[in-house]
Amino acid sequence: MNQHQAVGIVMIEDDEGHARLIEKNIRRAGIMNDIRHFTDGTTALDYLFEAPEGPAKNGPALILLDLNLPDMSGTDILSRIKADNSPLRRAPVVVLTTTDDKVEIQRCYDLGCNVYITKPVDYENFAQAIRQLGLFLTVIQVPDVETVG
Amino acid sequence: MFGISNRLASGKSRIGRVLVGFMVLGFLCLFVAGLAAAWAMRENQRHTDSVAHTYEVEVALDRVSVLVERGETTRRGFLLTGNQVYRDNYDRYTRDLPPAMARVTTLTSDNPRQRANVADLRTRLSDLLALRTRSFAMIDAGRRSAALIAFAEEASSQRLLGIRARMSAMLGEERRLLAIRDIDQRRSLQLFYTVLSIAGAILLVVAIVSLLTILRYTRDLASSRDQLNRLNGTLEEQVAERTADLSRANEEIQRFAYIVSHDLRSPLVNVMGFTAELDSATVPLGELIDRVEERAPDLLTNDMRLAAREDLPEAIKFIRTSTQKMDRLINAILKLSREGRRVIAPEPLDIAAIADTAIAAMRQVIDDRGATVTVERPMPTLNSDRFAVEQILSNLVENATKYLQPGRPGRITVSATRMRERVVIAVADNGRGIDPRDHQRIFDLFRRSGAQDQPGEGIGLAHVRALAYRLGGTIDVASRLGEGATFRLNLPATFQNSQDSNA
Repeated sequence: MNQHQAVGIVMIEDDEGHARLIEKNIRRAGIMNDIRHFTDGTTALDYLFEAPEGPAKNGPALILLDLNLPDMSGTDILSRIKADNSPLRRAPVVVLTTTDDKVEIQRCYDLGCNVYITKPVDYENFAQAIRQLGLFLTVIQVPDVETVG
Repeated sequence: MFGISNRLASGKSRIGRVLVGFMVLGFLCLFVAGLAAAWAMRENQRHTDSVAHTYEVEVALDRVSVLVERGETTRRGFLLTGNQVYRDNYDRYTRDLPPAMARVTTLTSDNPRQRANVADLRTRLSDLLALRTRSFAMIDAGRRSAALIAFAEEASSQRLLGIRARMSAMLGEERRLLAIRDIDQRRSLQLFYTVLSIAGAILLVVAIVSLLTILRYTRDLASSRDQLNRLNGTLEEQVAERTADLSRANEEIQRFAYIVSHDLRSPLVNVMGFTAELDSATVPLGELIDRVEERAPDLLTNDMRLAAREDLPEAIKFIRTSTQKMDRLINAILKLSREGRRVIAPEPLDIAAIADTAIAAMRQVIDDRGATVTVERPMPTLNSDRFAVEQILSNLVENATKYLQPGRPGRITVSATRMRERVVIAVADNGRGIDPRDHQRIFDLFRRSGAQDQPGEGIGLAHVRALAYRLGGTIDVASRLGEGATFRLNLPATFQNSQDSNA
């Protein structure tokens, strides 16, 4: 568990309410890792790749990604993270979005997404899904980030 | 195209009238020309007759003249020589004179002037003949010298001159008449030619105008035909264009429905999520109220109790049911839009088997509602999308079992018939029926009919209609309140993939 404490969670979610509900339920699952929340793709990418305290420079991270963002598509961010020359290509990405279109789901997995979760509108299911995700997060191993070139 | 045929039709009747008019005019001209020719022929004949008459008169006058002259010559010969030959010849000439004179009289009897001339001539001739007869009588009496003296006195040459003058006057009269007739003849000929040339000119004009009319009509006809051909040629193109436009519009609507329903879900997650949070927050709040009630009841007012125990849970309950309903509606729109975007995979279908499958899947529900479903066999084959037909049939059968007439066990019949290139699948029930006013409405999204005593959102039939359209078909209903309903799905026997080219 100590090992996981170091893993930062980066949440890219444009809806403040969704973000709050997700965070609440993750905390309820007993996950106390640091959660950084971004509401748009640009600042999120900047933090992921450029910030001195960000995952690319600093160490392991787990990314929660919403596909419907105001400034860019979540799949663009996904492909940046999973690109061959990306230091974050091994970082687990959980796509958590309202889209349940089959084509979109396939595309995300093709791009290298690790888990795809459709946000259930029914809150009980939603809360349960997030708590299960939290449980999942407590057991998965997150690789270290490669130091850049 | 209507414009063209109308113009052709009216043009045809107008041109027909013009042509008939010109034909009548042309025939009239020919008739007049014929009349003129007949008249001219008759005039000509009359002129010829008159010319012949003139010559006859001339010949008759010549004959009289010759007889008179010869009579004189032979009388003088006889007077001089007493030769009997002269006497015989003289007798012959004198005998021939009256018939010759009679001929002249007959020929000229129609002209008063000539009649006067003839009368005068006759007088002179009879005078002359009387003198002659007297001189012959003297000779016969042997008074030859007395006869000679009488001859010398009688101035017969003067008399002859008078006769000649009279006869030439008669000739002149005839010539004058002939000249008048010549002028008449020339005038009538001129008239004939004038009439002929006018008729000819009119005929020419008629011919030219008729020809031009026919040519113009033919040209119009040819251009109309070309236009028709062009229209025919572009018709398919136009249909394809319109279909493409429609498909684009349809796709646009589908995309719109998808985006809207999708974006509506996002805030709904929040509403439902925080309502749940609120709901769970009411539990500790309720406990707090209970505890305060127990230990320090004076701290609580009635409002506080009501708010925590009734108002708050009630408000949350309504928010929840409303958002749940909204979620179902949004999901319905999403489903419809997704259905519209699904690629249709036509295959040969056994409608009866599909109906059986659909019925088997809801066997429990059908039995619970006490209904029986019959699938009539045989059924025609259908080449269409399996999933869509299955969805339509199960929706229709489910509806039929759902809205039964109270106190009447449900009997539902599924049948299908082929009508030329279409297959009509009918789902008939003996349920409560649908008010005819609602026959269109029930196919609209979120619209229902009759007593709202059954669960549902008004989505099923909208879904069915969207699927039917997607398969290139239609759906309608025949029903009266209390008398059951028959839904007829009309599908092309073979699905034509008209939208795939641009889908």
